[in-house]
Amino acid sequence: MIEITIDDRKLSVEKGITILEAARRNGIKIPNLCFDKRLRPYGGCRMCVVEIEGGRKLASACGHPAREGMVIKTNSPRVRRVRQSVLEFLLVHHPLDCPECDKAGECALQDLVFEYGVPETRFTGERKHAQPDVRGPLIELISNRCILCAKCVRICSQYQGRGALGLIGRGFPTVVQPAFGEVLECDYCGQCIDICPTGALISKPYKYKARPWFLEEKENICSFCGVGCTLTLGIREGRILRSKGREGAGINDGNLCGRGRFGFDYIYSENRLRTPLIKEGDEFRDASWEEALTYVARSLSSIRDAHGPNSIGAIGSPRCTVEDNYMLAKFMRAGLGSGNIASSEAFGYAGALRAFSLSFGIGSNPADLASPLGRDVILVLESDPTITHPVFGLNILRAKREGSRLLVADYRETKLTRHSNTWLQLRPGTLVALLNGMMNVIMDRGLFDRDRVSGIRGFSSLEAVVKEYTPAMVSEITGLTGEAVTDAAVTFANAPRRLVIMPLAVSENNKGPGSALAAANLLILLGEEPSSLQVPAEYCNTYGMLEAGIMPRGGGMDVFDMLYKPGHLRALYIMGEDPLVSMPDSRKIKNTLRSLDFLVVQDIVMTEAAELANVVLPASSWGEKEGHFINAGGLRQRIRKVVEATGKSQPDWQILRNLGLAMGINLGAKSFQDITKEADDFIAGGRREAEGAPRPAFHPVAYEPEEPCDSEFTYTLVTRDVLQHSGNMSTRSEALKLVQAEAFLEINEKDAERHAISDESHIKITSRRGAVYLRAKVTDAVPEGVVSTPVHFPSGGINELTHFSGNTCSRLDAVKIERVK
Amino acid sequence: MFNDTVLKEIEGIKAKYPDRRSALLPSLYIAQREFGWLSREAMTCVARSLNLPEAVVRGTASFYSMYKHKPAGRHVIQLCTNISCMILGAGKLVDFLETRYGVPANGTSGDGRFSLVIMECIGACGTAPAMLVNTDFYDNLSEKRIEEILENYK
Ligand code: SF4
Ligand code: SF4
Ligand code: SF4
Ligand code: FES
Ligand code: FES
Repeated sequence: MIEITIDDRKLSVEKGITILEAARRNGIKIPNLCFDKRLRPYGGCRMCVVEIEGGRKLASACGHPAREGMVIKTNSPRVRRVRQSVLEFLLVHHPLDCPECDKAGECALQDLVFEYGVPETRFTGERKHAQPDVRGPLIELISNRCILCAKCVRICSQYQGRGALGLIGRGFPTVVQPAFGEVLECDYCGQCIDICPTGALISKPYKYKARPWFLEEKENICSFCGVGCTLTLGIREGRILRSKGREGAGINDGNLCGRGRFGFDYIYSENRLRTPLIKEGDEFRDASWEEALTYVARSLSSIRDAHGPNSIGAIGSPRCTVEDNYMLAKFMRAGLGSGNIASSEAFGYAGALRAFSLSFGIGSNPADLASPLGRDVILVLESDPTITHPVFGLNILRAKREGSRLLVADYRETKLTRHSNTWLQLRPGTLVALLNGMMNVIMDRGLFDRDRVSGIRGFSSLEAVVKEYTPAMVSEITGLTGEAVTDAAVTFANAPRRLVIMPLAVSENNKGPGSALAAANLLILLGEEPSSLQVPAEYCNTYGMLEAGIMPRGGGMDVFDMLYKPGHLRALYIMGEDPLVSMPDSRKIKNTLRSLDFLVVQDIVMTEAAELANVVLPASSWGEKEGHFINAGGLRQRIRKVVEATGKSQPDWQILRNLGLAMGINLGAKSFQDITKEADDFIAGGRREAEGAPRPAFHPVAYEPEEPCDSEFTYTLVTRDVLQHSGNMSTRSEALKLVQAEAFLEINEKDAERHAISDESHIKITSRRGAVYLRAKVTDAVPEGVVSTPVHFPSGGINELTHFSGNTCSRLDAVKIERVK
Repeated sequence: MFNDTVLKEIEGIKAKYPDRRSALLPSLYIAQREFGWLSREAMTCVARSLNLPEAVVRGTASFYSMYKHKPAGRHVIQLCTNISCMILGAGKLVDFLETRYGVPANGTSGDGRFSLVIMECIGACGTAPAMLVNTDFYDNLSEKRIEEILENYK
């Protein structure tokens, strides 16, 4: 610590920080236009000048380190004069088009000019006359308003790891644009919009929507991924018009991805359900709540009475609140007496939970979003957290910048592989072989503490299994060289602080729960704790849903039995999920749903599954109801009602409570407070039970290939997430649809050539289960022999192609590709 | 994309710095040498070989006026016309270059052989007039000497 004086205040500050940082931490405001705490000092705007006693020149506070004994004045007449000149120079070129600028009212430049007084203009000069670039889907670039602070360029390349924008040119004619003036194609995170001090970068969906002073700002938790960012919503006349990050708010501390920033408008989808619907013949008709609930109550009661409670099942939702899911579980268990409660997470995070329990003997292992920082080596396994958990992904990039070695094992090129030190481009689905191979090397070379580890349960069977996975054998399976496997193993084993990151997404077919076990084996072998295995839960409330009791217990059926085996269930209650889009092998599921006596779907929009239902119940969406989400880190966060509910929709928990009453079951929960308290106690109880020291054990996994290609089905199909979407709710967002509106198939350039396929060609993809038609996206990001597609889009119907099996390594599908003439 | 020799050269530059961005300016010079000027393709090649975003490469390149941002002749003559050179007849040399070789000031000859860049003082006032042809330096210029010199630049 050092002592300095700022504006007559004696302060003790950390050594090495800048004057600006020292002032900020002590609540002293120094005006600035090019500073952001996420970026390296730039010193471009000179607004932050301060007077240092004894110094001849003024210093820019953002780049000047505070030194012992410094006496600093941040607001002396001399300093103010210089700042006024800086503003004067800026205003020579800056257009004064504030009346039509979205930023007016919250523009740093405008605010500073207001504070320092309009400078007397000693100069006249040309103003810029570049045409605004309105071509991109979400972001408009208005170079004329740009003051060349380069914050956008820097956040994009230094922090977001993308580098899509440049300040092209020099001096007066400089424009902010992509490298060669092409249409901006990027992550569409919108970080550049938030960081721009002027109106040079603006959000297109928000353009001309409201003057900021008319906006009411309310905070809410993002409803997409498991990171759980805090959004600052701008609301006017009962409608959410925009979403921003705010420094200091929430775990994201000002950062957002494009889903959180632009995707909220799914709640205004035309497809929203406004009233209960009852199917008559083949058509739905509107019904009152009373009629619909009476009908559902009667039907469920009679099925229960005739076939027993076990003939009824329910599916919960990682997008609904803790309260909603808790109520569904309670309705099923306490109300109906059925333990058949499951969710799509059986294909995703549930696999991770199983690995935590088998390998570490713990019931949960919340992710730590800051975990990448300070590790010597980070191994990312067949995943791209910058897509699945974007704001968590930022911390991986940051760790890399701060010196961590980043090893990425992935079949395809991603932003992370581009930033990695080593990209292990393995064949999709072969992760288990790679991990076994790394353990083989580690054992072979004695890079682990044998005395400590050999006593752990399962060690000898692990030894027996991994013995076969010599680098040469692993090389054959994965397509990596033997040296690459050896190097990865040695690098990983020799690093003092290690981390493995591998989100398990419901939709992806290239890695299964077996890969989480294999990763756990590797970590236990090296004496690591569970916290070095980061498997962040996928959606906004995946973690909370599971904690609220949405899991088959006490002999209850899982989704595998409920949805893939017609005849097991007579009735099904689906809340906030569309299994026909999110789960593999949708034809089988469709058959099962058709075979039911009674299907209830409760959702915010009409879904594919809802089309098959007897009754459809309209639920209020995120933003229209109160509740809690628990993020991937186990953090319980309040979500708020910020706008009125759509039509007659009601919060899910309330619908379930009322349904209970219609069946003569009292589920309690007179008020929201009641249900929150009850759910909370339940979760706290669960957490207490799960407490206890880890008891590690090895559960070796052998690599099993899944659905290998043959002479007919020659391509491996990998399903994956894309950045602009999260599950299928985001596909109802008009803004996100501007970037990616429909499914596509990525295919390698050489393969495309072979089939005479070009970008946008229509192609038919056939698996052993079905066929779908998609547009091609020709790319060198996927290797030859592999095609890749996102499953988010209901219209894509990708899950008609996919399957699931007992294979825990992967559920890859073999397909053939034809060009449609 | 660059050929292997060039790639190796760039690798060599990269190896000198902890941050690959530091290799950007010298790599742009190499690209300019290879492509004759900083065409889009040249900059894309630099971006790929340094694993930097194109926007960073173009943003940096466009800041420096001493890179060639337009196609140039095979050989670039940079002739000084500042005071000392001017007094000793640089103006006439400019005319000579135009009439003899068809290369206008700050332009390129029709046959693509020469480009002429008019320079500010290049620090050879004592032996003015002076010029650079590509990276080679020549002083005490006269029309005759220029003819002799340019014989070597086909
Ligand atoms: S939206 Fe994000 S990725 Fe795109 S230019 Fe802005 S900061 Fe870069
Ligand atoms: S566009 Fe905005 S953030 Fe980017 S350089 Fe210009 S003023 Fe700064
Ligand atoms: S989708 Fe995830 S990373 Fe993006 S804003 Fe929402 S919570 Fe944050
Ligand atoms: S904030 Fe210090 S120079 Fe811009
Ligand atoms: S004036 Fe020509 S070299 Fe100095």
